[in-house]
Amino acid sequence: MATHTMVQAIANTLDSEMARDERVVVIGEDVGKRGGVFLATEKLFDKYGPDRVIDSPLSEAAIIGAALGMSVYGNRPVAEIQFADYVYPGFDQLVSQVAKMRYRSGAMFHAPLVVRMPAGGGVRGGHHHSQNPESHFVHTAGLKVVYPSTPSDAAGLLRSAIRDEDPVVVMEPKRLYRSVREELPGDDHLVPIGKAKVLREGDDVVLISYGGSMAETNKAAAALLEQKISPHVIDLRSLQPWDRTTVLEAVARVGRAVLVSEAPRTVGVMSEVAATIAEEVLDSLLAPPLRVTGFDTPYPYAQDREYLPGPNRILKAVERALSY
Amino acid sequence: MIRESQSFPPFTEEPIKVIGEAGEWLAPFELDLDDEQLKGLYRDMLTGRLADERLIRLQRLGKSSFVAPAAGHEGAQVGVAHALKAGHDWLFPYYRDLSLVLAYGLPAAEFIAQTMGTRADPARGRQMPYHPGSKELNIFTVASPIASHIPPAVGTALAMKLADRSQVTLVSFGDGATSEGDWHAGINLAGAQGAPIVFACQNNGYAISVDLKRQTGSDNIAVKAHAYGMPGYLVDGMDVLASYYVARDVVQRAREGVGPALIEFVVYRYGGHSSADDDSRYRPKQEVESWRRRDPLQRFRRFLERRELWSEDEDLAARDEINEMLAAAVRAAEEAGPVPLEWMFEDVYEELPEFLAKQRDELLG
Repeated sequence: MATHTMVQAIANTLDSEMARDERVVVIGEDVGKRGGVFLATEKLFDKYGPDRVIDSPLSEAAIIGAALGMSVYGNRPVAEIQFADYVYPGFDQLVSQVAKMRYRSGAMFHAPLVVRMPAGGGVRGGHHHSQNPESHFVHTAGLKVVYPSTPSDAAGLLRSAIRDEDPVVVMEPKRLYRSVREELPGDDHLVPIGKAKVLREGDDVVLISYGGSMAETNKAAAALLEQKISPHVIDLRSLQPWDRTTVLEAVARVGRAVLVSEAPRTVGVMSEVAATIAEEVLDSLLAPPLRVTGFDTPYPYAQDREYLPGPNRILKAVERALSY
Repeated sequence: MIRESQSFPPFTEEPIKVIGEAGEWLAPFELDLDDEQLKGLYRDMLTGRLADERLIRLQRLGKSSFVAPAAGHEGAQVGVAHALKAGHDWLFPYYRDLSLVLAYGLPAAEFIAQTMGTRADPARGRQMPYHPGSKELNIFTVASPIASHIPPAVGTALAMKLADRSQVTLVSFGDGATSEGDWHAGINLAGAQGAPIVFACQNNGYAISVDLKRQTGSDNIAVKAHAYGMPGYLVDGMDVLASYYVARDVVQRAREGVGPALIEFVVYRYGGHSSADDDSRYRPKQEVESWRRRDPLQRFRRFLERRELWSEDEDLAARDEINEMLAAAVRAAEEAGPVPLEWMFEDVYEELPEFLAKQRDELLG
């Protein structure tokens, strides 16, 4: 059976959803004729035409705002922001207009739209092609946020996002776009938003991560197994809402947690996970929840690889957790 | 049907008007509105003016927290409202559009309930005063950030173009909004896509205290349309018939697929920016007074009286009727009572998520 990379999985999902529901439209820079700079919207323009695959002027405010206007009228737009680093010109539209549409109107209007963006570092892109701005969106009431790490999850979460009546921000780990190939489940494969995935059951330490960092976390898990240490590995997949049940059950049982995310440390999503662990299962903890994260610097060019939380830093944190 | 003579040129040196200050008809074409329509325009302006006065009183009595005075804007707002097909078209107003939304058909009771934030508010008490919306009438709920509604308005117009049901979007804003990035982002997209949208600017010469000369280097707002590939019309917004006729013409063209346009209505705001503003700090008294003499209601009343369509008796009767309606609307809003605490947690998402339900339970104890 055919295997697909993550970016192919995204393109396939967009195609199958556009075929299934004529209200689905795509809007963004270069999404039409060019098929997207990462080819995430490849072939959609030829199949669905310029009315449903819209090449927008260079303006994230126009892209996100127009997606909102189309969605209140009755469409289901999927807006693409070319790099997460460029979402900021459209940030006001996302936070002031989209996120608050249902609430401020007393549910007279709502915003069933998706904003997808390639995010994360490790691609030698420096400050403005490597960011992980997900904390801003998780912190904004009214938005849902997902961050897959595999092709099948990218497909399933995007499909759920398109069918969701709430606005969903879909972060895509661009350095994993073409690194792994998977068989895709069928055109109705849905990954529920808010549900984490346990990749491996274990007893000694809980490793929790999402997005691009899952790759390094899995490497660290493999190294632990060689040392006869048993890791319990969780891929959050959704950041808002995030799966408190799966995380707290595991951490309460095991007693030690290492939280891995390449986003900057201060007020990163793992701060929220760590605080919740401390509030809810303190009595079961054998060590404090430990974060392994990106640094509180703008994303560097020369030290790209060192910035990312790699297996060595993760293993050091596990050692520290086990030594309590 | 709009006749050739009723089409107006864009980019005029002087604002387009069809009635003079003395109420005399100036246009080269025949008036094609009947008596009821003409009186309806005046009644709608009067409703807007009386609602404005009442809302100011309510705020002073502590029954509402905020007012955005709209007196002086009635001509432009009522003219625009009558040029659209309420319920078929979509309207994206801004916070000062009191007369516009009332003339468009929003019940005063809904506007006042939203302003007082009681249980009668169809938007469930979520926002501060002067932030109306209506699902039935396709009025996109106002959000405070200036010009933030421009890109969504263009999006709706794009969707209309695809749906091909002869609908038009009208987005309304002040002179200050034309400096925001979102304004340029939206109007640029509209021009590039040929969307059926009319950009209606009520230029009252001030964004709070910042006058037009400090707002833009452009000669006026209408000329900015050149940059976005569409016509820009300069209209005397104190003339309700000029506002109506130009809006009608431009809206009809958009409906026929000609594309977007910008209309600038020159108006004057008699009150301050809001109940929190003291406009004597930045506007000379003589300026306000000289614009008072150009009151859009007085001017149109003179026009009607010349045609024997209005009188002092009719005016008193109309005022009584409207004031009674407004008083009833205030009573209804008050009687509905305060909004329940639990409503704070609803409508953030379609379903109440567990983590938020927990927060609610913590608060409600």
